[in-house]
Amino acid sequence: MSDLDPRVVQGRRVLGVVPGQPPGGDRKVPDEQDLVMVSPHLLVRHAVVALTVLLLVLIVAVLFDAPLREVANPFETPNPEKAPWYFAALQELLSHFHPMVAGVLVPGAIVGGLIALPYIDRSRALQPRLRKVAVATFTTFLVVWVVLTLIGFAFRGPNWGWVWPWNEWHGEL
Amino acid sequence: MNRGVDRREFLSRGWKAGVVMIGCAGAWTSWDLLRPLPGSGLSGVIKTVAGDEVPADTAVYVRTAHTYLTRIGDEVVALWQKCPHLGCRVSWCDNSGEFECACHGSKFNRAGEHRSGPAPRGMDRFAVTVNADGIVEVDTGAVIQGPPPGSETIDEPPRGESCS
Amino acid sequence: MKLRETTIGRSLFRSPDRETERDQAAGHWSNFLLHLYPVKVRRRELHFSFSWYLGVTSVVLLGSLVVSGVYLMFFYVPSPSSAYGDIQTIQTQVAFGQFIRNVHRWSAHLMVLAVAAHMARVFYRGAYKSPREFNWVIGVMLLVLTLLLSFTGYLLPWDQLAYWAVTVGTSMADFVPIIGGGARDVLLGSDQVGAATLLRFYVLHVALLPLLMVGLLMVHLWRWRKDAMLDQTDGGGEA
Repeated sequence: MSDLDPRVVQGRRVLGVVPGQPPGGDRKVPDEQDLVMVSPHLLVRHAVVALTVLLLVLIVAVLFDAPLREVANPFETPNPEKAPWYFAALQELLSHFHPMVAGVLVPGAIVGGLIALPYIDRSRALQPRLRKVAVATFTTFLVVWVVLTLIGFAFRGPNWGWVWPWNEWHGEL
Repeated sequence: MNRGVDRREFLSRGWKAGVVMIGCAGAWTSWDLLRPLPGSGLSGVIKTVAGDEVPADTAVYVRTAHTYLTRIGDEVVALWQKCPHLGCRVSWCDNSGEFECACHGSKFNRAGEHRSGPAPRGMDRFAVTVNADGIVEVDTGAVIQGPPPGSETIDEPPRGESCS
Repeated sequence: MKLRETTIGRSLFRSPDRETERDQAAGHWSNFLLHLYPVKVRRRELHFSFSWYLGVTSVVLLGSLVVSGVYLMFFYVPSPSSAYGDIQTIQTQVAFGQFIRNVHRWSAHLMVLAVAAHMARVFYRGAYKSPREFNWVIGVMLLVLTLLLSFTGYLLPWDQLAYWAVTVGTSMADFVPIIGGGARDVLLGSDQVGAATLLRFYVLHVALLPLLMVGLLMVHLWRWRKDAMLDQTDGGGEA
């Protein structure tokens, strides 16, 4: 019915028509701070994202099989023994420092630091150039962590010795 | 103005204290409930091999006790296979005459004392008794922590390449 | 005739005819699923460059994990004598079993990546700043829960990879002062990884941690919805 109802134009009820030009000019320039309806604007985008992600998972799951090693054996440790990749950075640290430092203090400090972040960084600035200290600290942490993860995941072989991943591959997913 | 705790204040503090107490009771219950049951894992005294079969230059593995037996002087020592670093199985390397952990490369001498690598102490061990028949009995009920690093009591440098 | 205009349709949706934005908003509010969303968002939130859609990606992956995980639960018994064989059965005899296991495994890895990347994106956008501090804290908890769920799931196939990775991971608890040794025992149910550990990790993986995860996620999304209308423009250089 709404298509035919003359009182409704573009989803808004018309109260009256005034002759003349609108004060802001003929064309409205969309502002990034404008409020837009979630349905449909955000919903269709989320639907597209969901389908894309599921398609990606489907393709990966068809192409690659999940690993399954020999049955667990308490009398034999595989060499090298690798933690899941998201703990590879921790394992790399553990091979260098006392477990009290690398296994307890560092992860505790990371989680504690992340939780405390919004209470430490109280500035209202949003642009990266206006909050150099926070951005530099976080980026440094991120880079160090990614590098450690890569080393632990791909560059470590038997007895946790250094290997080049293009010579021998020991990464486990 | 301040005339101590009135009724309203008392009740307000009372219910908060009650919530805290129930929380503590719940935490205590869960903790106690989830502790390992007796008899799970290693426990008790395990009979192994005859005492005079334990060699003085290598180590014998006793599978039932998850333990290596070796002879240091006149004593038989029972070393737990679990690395004091992060729990991987330590393996005996005949070539170098050392215990080696594959996970992070810790090395221990034949007496289970820390030689190199990230392990915080020497290998953990069990109490050993030799019974009337000359059989070595290992008490796996209580783990004795390994000695701190830097205290090698035997002079046996690596005799060859490591096994890795 | 539209479903919405029938008697059954009206009982389902209860929403008025969607003629004006006000009607649409009313329909939005009366829809159970849509009530997770705000009615309106700032236009900039629509762009890919704003969020890289990493939050919604994480939620979609969680959904994929729940669905594939339930399939796997029909065929898996958490005991050392059967766990490994059950995985082999899933892979070789169950129709689409290998595929479902792959979906579960790769979704889990992708979710760790997506949640971590979501955190980084939120940081660089400065979206953790007042008044959204606490939603950032909930987000950190969700990241930790994601890692714990991944780690507990890692043991369940009961292969060499699982056994020793979990041995190493739980031995770290030993070095926590005072409660460390006790915490490790409570987690393992024994002095080494064994039958009790497998059952405990299973219960954590399929019941306790997912419940916590979904509960916290609801709070996370609720706060996002409440804060969606905030005008968070740059406050300038003032400290």
